[in-house]
Amino acid sequence: MARVATPTAFDAIDPARRLRNLALTLVAIGVGVLVLWGLESLGSAKLTQALALFAVWGVATVSLNLINGTLGILSLGHHGFMLIGGYTTGLLILDEAARQRILTSARSTMTEQTLGISVGNMLQSLGLDALATPETLWFRYLLAIFFGGLLAAVAGLVVGIPSLRLRGDYLAIVTFGFGEIIRLSASTRLFSAYTNGALGFPGVTSEFGKSVWWTFGVLAFTVFVISKLKYSSYGRAMQAIREDEIAAQAMGVNVAYHKVLGFVISAFFAGVAGGLWVSWLGGVRLDFFLFQLTFFFLVAISAGGTGSITGVLLGTALVVFVRQYGDPLEETYSIQTWLYLAAGVLGLAAAGAFAFRSLRRLRPRLHWGALVLAGAAALAALVALIDPSAIEGTFRGFGMRAIFLSVLLIVIMVFRPEGMIGRAEFSWAALLREQRSGPTDEERAQDAWLSNPQLNPGGEGPRDDADATRDEGGR
Amino acid sequence: MLEVEHLRKSFGGLTATNDVSFHVNEGEIVSIIGPNGAGKSTIFNLVTGVYRPDGGDVRFQGASIVGKSTNQIVGLGIARTFQNLRLFTQMTVLENVLVGQHHRLRSTWLSSVLRTPGYRRQERAMREAATEKLAFFGPRLQSFRLNQPVYVLSYANRRRTEVARAMATGAKLLLLDEPSAGMNPKETAEITQIIRRMRDEGGYTILLVEHKMNLVGEISDRVIVLDYGEKIAEGSYHDVVHDPLVIEAYLGKKAAVDRAEDEEGSGA
Repeated sequence: MARVATPTAFDAIDPARRLRNLALTLVAIGVGVLVLWGLESLGSAKLTQALALFAVWGVATVSLNLINGTLGILSLGHHGFMLIGGYTTGLLILDEAARQRILTSARSTMTEQTLGISVGNMLQSLGLDALATPETLWFRYLLAIFFGGLLAAVAGLVVGIPSLRLRGDYLAIVTFGFGEIIRLSASTRLFSAYTNGALGFPGVTSEFGKSVWWTFGVLAFTVFVISKLKYSSYGRAMQAIREDEIAAQAMGVNVAYHKVLGFVISAFFAGVAGGLWVSWLGGVRLDFFLFQLTFFFLVAISAGGTGSITGVLLGTALVVFVRQYGDPLEETYSIQTWLYLAAGVLGLAAAGAFAFRSLRRLRPRLHWGALVLAGAAALAALVALIDPSAIEGTFRGFGMRAIFLSVLLIVIMVFRPEGMIGRAEFSWAALLREQRSGPTDEERAQDAWLSNPQLNPGGEGPRDDADATRDEGGR
Repeated sequence: MLEVEHLRKSFGGLTATNDVSFHVNEGEIVSIIGPNGAGKSTIFNLVTGVYRPDGGDVRFQGASIVGKSTNQIVGLGIARTFQNLRLFTQMTVLENVLVGQHHRLRSTWLSSVLRTPGYRRQERAMREAATEKLAFFGPRLQSFRLNQPVYVLSYANRRRTEVARAMATGAKLLLLDEPSAGMNPKETAEITQIIRRMRDEGGYTILLVEHKMNLVGEISDRVIVLDYGEKIAEGSYHDVVHDPLVIEAYLGKKAAVDRAEDEEGSGA
């Protein structure tokens, strides 16, 4: 039929375009490397740390997003898998001096035998002494985070098989429970020979966790694997499970298998993230792996856009920024300053409400709520201005950072419940405005023609005369 | 092709299906009709493995499929659509149809991630098959529609997408649960033709549940009538709609008697 427009289904795998996208990606990676190098050479330890933390948490959030966003399962046990990866990595690459310190410490519950577990010893027993030198620590670290990820993946399998039969809230509670079980069993006598109980152990090298190259390298690998997975047939099956489990099963998708698969892959990267995290912190301790960690990841995911890798990274950047650069919020200021600050925030909120209502063409533009906010702002400013002597004293903004993050989350959830960028994903086609989501004029005309019985009385497709006459009769 | 024998299923005290037997031959279009609550959808759920029957047997191409899971049954060659549309609404039309083919993918997840040549070849074949299935519905699910998310589609287009998705699973037998629900008369006439073409050109065997009698009458080779979970009639559309039991089930006893008297009168 001449009416059929050329299909666009093969756009995504058109070889020329794929080559161009590959080239663009390589250039972008090159630019990214240059930017990272530039930022690192600024020499600010704080900036490097923040960047590295972004990458470490990015690995965790991107992997959590595979469960929460792609598979549509609310999982609250990510910190448990990170703990497994973290402790494994920590133990495997602990340096000799640190091992001696733990061995001689009176409070230590680790034994000579468990302290002997290290990648270095393993390699030496295999006769690979060359890989056990201080110069080749990077190789041992790589092996260690890989083992950490592997162990976490095994834990994911063990947790996943029984619990993924459940749905929704029940599953969330079970994953939360497992996360806590993992964390608490690390402190029990059963595992304390490996974990040193509640004390943990310091002395994990920070050489990798605080290096932007290592962390961003691992992040790039994670994003590569998870985005390729998301855009493969397996990813489509996982998204189908998120959309409608019953329909997915009825279309031949083995729901249980794909859920466990997603869970295990996610747990693997959580373990790797745990390995980077202990290196960033320079030690292993139980309270590095509180539920709070998973909570931060969930905030990052919801703020950025559940299901979107791009959005999740944006959200992670936001959370890490507030965490690392939010300390001015928690310092001691005079009450007058706080009042000015409150006036500023309230005034901004009122102005924002006005701008929002104007933009959405809501009337009246000046909602009474905005007026109340503006009034409160004016009041705070007035008090601070007129009578500074009556409000002497200072106030320390303990926890202001967490409050700020919470308010930010509330604002995002109210005005953009799908997160900053929703489900959208970065792609070259989208950036270059090549994606066709709408019809061309010709197609629009064709569509109208198809769906309008007056323009198209016969309908299309082969039809015999009997149908045509019956249709005429029916009208 | 499909043989259902003495199928029984009850939910608590309610008998949804009671001793129903029928068969579907290859290349046939068979309709199941019956008043609301007659157990039509229950039969679909029993055949596709959503429910386990309390008794009886379902055989597909000679082998019993009772106790198999829904996705295994799809793998054997039975796919279905849903009465109240169960599409993956946030995904595009093309992706929806591609999901239907996922169970035939022979690559592991790792080779999918690495995009091995084998995976690429299969992915391309899947996309070709998807557009081919969508082409059954004419140009309306082609070109720009392929990349539109399902939630922007009209109701009729969603129905078409769902049928295309079921076709793409590679099934030989399609169970269509009210394929024309929510469609206007013109669209109904069109889907009637499409169902016929699916059999004639696509080689599918079709079992459908439908309420629109003109659609049923036009394409069915045989019609099975259910009432209160029991099969009350089977035969050609013409025979079935004149069966007093069927008229009674739809219109009540008095109407059945009146109707019979009318026919006797006109015959004499």
